[in-house]
Amino acid sequence: MEDLFYRLELFLKRQVSRGKFLKVFLGWLAVFIAENRFLKMAFAKTAESEGRPKRKIKGNYDLVVSEGPDSYQNTIKAIEALGGMGLFVKKGAVVVIKPNMGWDRTPEQAANTDPGVIAALTEMCYKAGAKRVNIFDIPCNDERRCYENSGIEKAAKEKGAYVYFANQWNAVKAKFPYKSQMERWSILRDAVQCDTFINVPVLKHHSLAGLTLSMKNLMGICGGMRGLMHPNMGEKLVDLTGFINPELTVIDATRYLTKNGPSGGNVADVTVLNKVVAATDPVLADAYAGTLAGKDPLFLSCVKEAVARNFGSADIAGAKIFTVPT
Amino acid sequence: MKKKKPLKKLVFARWASQLFFLALFVYILWSTTYPLKGLFSPEIIFKLDPLVVLFASLSERVLLPGAVLSLVMLALTLVLGRFFCGWVCPLGTTIDWFGTVRKRKNLLSDAVNRSARRIKFFLLVAVALSAIFGIQTAWILDPMAIAARFVSLNLIPTVTLLTQKAFEAAITRFELYGVPYDLYRALQSSILGVNAYYFSSSGIIFVFFLAVTASAIALPRAWCRMLCPLGAIYRLTAGKALLARRIEGCLDCGICKSDCRMGAIRDDAGYVKGECILCMDCVYDCPPRGTRFGFLDSRKPKKTSCPPEEKRSGKISRGEFLFLLVSAIPFLGGRRKRARSGKRAEGFANTLIRPPGALREEKFVDYCVRCGNCMKVCITNGLQPVTLESGARGVWTPQLVPEIGYCEYHCTLCGNVCPTGAIPKLQPEIKQRTPLGIAVVDRHECIAWDRHEECIVCEEHCPVPTKAIKLEEEIYNGKKILKPVVDKDLCIGCGLCQHVCPVRPVRAICVRGAGGL
Repeated sequence: MEDLFYRLELFLKRQVSRGKFLKVFLGWLAVFIAENRFLKMAFAKTAESEGRPKRKIKGNYDLVVSEGPDSYQNTIKAIEALGGMGLFVKKGAVVVIKPNMGWDRTPEQAANTDPGVIAALTEMCYKAGAKRVNIFDIPCNDERRCYENSGIEKAAKEKGAYVYFANQWNAVKAKFPYKSQMERWSILRDAVQCDTFINVPVLKHHSLAGLTLSMKNLMGICGGMRGLMHPNMGEKLVDLTGFINPELTVIDATRYLTKNGPSGGNVADVTVLNKVVAATDPVLADAYAGTLAGKDPLFLSCVKEAVARNFGSADIAGAKIFTVPT
Repeated sequence: MKKKKPLKKLVFARWASQLFFLALFVYILWSTTYPLKGLFSPEIIFKLDPLVVLFASLSERVLLPGAVLSLVMLALTLVLGRFFCGWVCPLGTTIDWFGTVRKRKNLLSDAVNRSARRIKFFLLVAVALSAIFGIQTAWILDPMAIAARFVSLNLIPTVTLLTQKAFEAAITRFELYGVPYDLYRALQSSILGVNAYYFSSSGIIFVFFLAVTASAIALPRAWCRMLCPLGAIYRLTAGKALLARRIEGCLDCGICKSDCRMGAIRDDAGYVKGECILCMDCVYDCPPRGTRFGFLDSRKPKKTSCPPEEKRSGKISRGEFLFLLVSAIPFLGGRRKRARSGKRAEGFANTLIRPPGALREEKFVDYCVRCGNCMKVCITNGLQPVTLESGARGVWTPQLVPEIGYCEYHCTLCGNVCPTGAIPKLQPEIKQRTPLGIAVVDRHECIAWDRHEECIVCEEHCPVPTKAIKLEEEIYNGKKILKPVVDKDLCIGCGLCQHVCPVRPVRAICVRGAGGL
C-alpha cells in the first residue's frame, strides 16, 4: 500500500517539459477535431423538402360512401365506385398507406383503423401494379404493441405490404413557400418520397379537435415533440395536409368511438356505423365524416381553416356524393 | 526426437462449456424483451443461484420458488465440486479472460493464500447475519447479479446503439435506402430491437463490474478466490466432493502450484478441494503427467502424495468472530434507526415511482436482488436504476422515470421476469387498476392553465378508458380553452401524461410515487 502511494506521489510530482506538454495537448486537440469531423461526415445532414406536389385526379364522384357489414368489401366497393385504384396507383409506383395505428388497442375498441380496410387497400394497390406498399406510423404507445394489437401488421403483411417501424432519423425538414408554423418540422422521408399517398384515418372522438380525421391523422408522420402542434392545431394541420397532398383519403367509419378519444379503450363507447368513405379531397372527406358523427361540416377547426384558405371544399350539398347500394 | 504435445481435451471441454454458458447467459438476457418469447425465462438464472435464493428467503422468511433448483445445484456440487465456478459462471469466464492479460505468474505463499481466501467467508457470514436480521444484502456481491446487470444495462444497450448508429450513418451518408435499409428494418424487428435503450448512471454499474473482473489482471481469479460469497457457499459444499484430484510420481517441481488460478494447490502439491474449480490446467501442466481427476476409490482411501488439509483451513478464530460481530453492527444500527423513525424514512423513499404492483418500499428493497431484468424488459425503457435517491439500501433498484418512458397500460412484463417476486406477476386487468402513483398538474407551468392556450396532450394520451384527466372549460378572449384536472380516483400514475407533456424543462404534469401497494 505504501509503495502504491509512493508511486502515486512520484507520478503527480513528475517534471513535464514545455515541449512534451505542448505535444500531448496538441495531440489530444487533433484527436478531438478529427473525431468531430468524422462524426460530422458520418451522419448526413437532414435534407429540406418542399413536400409532395398536388396531383389533379378526377374520380367518378367527389366522394363515395359504402355501407355493409364487412369493412373489407366496403373498401373495395367504395374505391371501385370512385373509379378504381388505377386512378391513383400507376405501374411500378411506391405507395404509402398511412393508417391510424397510434394506440395499443384492439380493432373492437375502435381507436385504430380497421385492419380489413388496410388489407383491401393493399390488395388493390398491388392489383393496380404497385411496386411496393409501405405502411408505417409513429404511434403514441409502444410501436410493437400498437402494430400487433391493432391487427394491421398481420392483415397487411398477409397481402404483401411492407409494415415497418418508422425511424425518426429518416426524416426531412419541411419547407413552405409561405410563412408557416410547421416550418422546419421533421417529417418522415418515406412519407414524402413516394408516388401515391393514401391516408386512412378512423372516425373517432378527440377532446381537443372534436374528431380525429384525415388531416389529424397526418400527425402520425411527424417527428419531434408533437404535443407542440396542439396550439393553433387547425392551421398547422392544413399546412401539413398541403405539404403531403394525399392522393386518396379513405375514412374508416366501420366503428365510431364516440367519447374518451382518441385512445378510447371502452367498447361501450363504440357505435358501429359499418361505413367507409373515400374521396380525393381530404377536406371534403373530413367534412362529410363529421356529419356521420352528427356534427356540422365546419365543426372541425382544420376544415374551417381549409375552407377559409380555399384549400378544399366542405360544401356537402354541392358535391357529387355517391352512396354504394348495398 | 520431438515429443508430441498432449491434446488438452479437458481444458478444451472447459473452454467450450464456459463459452456455451456465457453465450446462453447473454442470449437469455438478450431475449428478455417484448414479446418475451425466448427459450428460457430470465428468472432461471437466479433460481439456480443458492446465494440469492437462500438469503433472500431467509431475510424475508419465505420460501422463494427457486429453492428446489438451487438445492439441486448444491447437490451437484457435493458430487462434482465447484464445477459451477470453473465451467459455468459467466462472471468467472470474463474473469478468466482478464486473467490471460498478464503472463507473469503471481506466486503467493500458502499462508497468504489461506488468509486471502478466508475473506469470502467473512462476507458470506456478513450476508447471512444481515439476512437473519431481515436485511437482504446478497445482491451486493452476487456474481450472477453483477454479470446480469452488466449485460442488461451496459453491454446490450451499447451494442444495439452502436449497430443502429452505424446503420444510420451508412444509410444517410451513402443513401442506401434500398436493400440495406430493408435489412436494417428486418434486424430491428427481429433481434436488434426497435429502440436503443438508455440507462441513467449505468456507468457506475460498469465501473463496479470492471473492478470485479479486472482485478484478475493483478491476481488470477482474484474475485473468485477472495471475495465471491457464492463461491464461499460452493466452497463449503465442495469440501467433501466425490470428484477428487490424485497425483502420482510427484517431482516437487511446483509447476502445478504456480499455474493454479485459484491458489488452491499447496507447496506440497496437495490441494484444498473446496477451492478447486476444476479448471484442469494442472492435469496437463504436470511434467510426469501424474495428475488425475477421478471419483474417490473406496479401496484406496489413503493417497501417499496427497496429505490431508492443513488444520486451520476455513476455521474462524475467536478474534475473527468478534471482529465479524462488530462489523455487523452497522447493519443492525441501520435497521433500528429505520424502525424508530419509520415515518420519516417512508416519506423519503416514497418520492420514487416503483414498478406496477411492487411491494411496500421496505419489503421491496429487501426482495429486490438488482438483477436488472425488469429494467431490461421494460418496453418503454422507463424503468431505470436508482442510484442513491432512496438511500443506501435502494441502490440499483428500479424506478419509473416518466421523462424517459412511461408504464404501458397493457404491459405486465416486469412482473413476469422478477426472480424473487419483488414485482408480482399481475394479470393485465389487475395491473390496470394498480396505482403506481398519482399525477399532479402544476397550474403555474401548464400551457392551458397558465397561458390559456390549447394543449390537452395529457388528456389525449391518458390510457384509462374513462380518462383519469378530466377537462375544465374556460372561455378566454372568446375562445374555448380546455384545462386538465386529474381525477384522483381513476389515475393509476402510469406517467404517460408526464412523458408527453410538451412543457420544458420541468413537465407541467408530474406523477408522485405511491410507494408500493
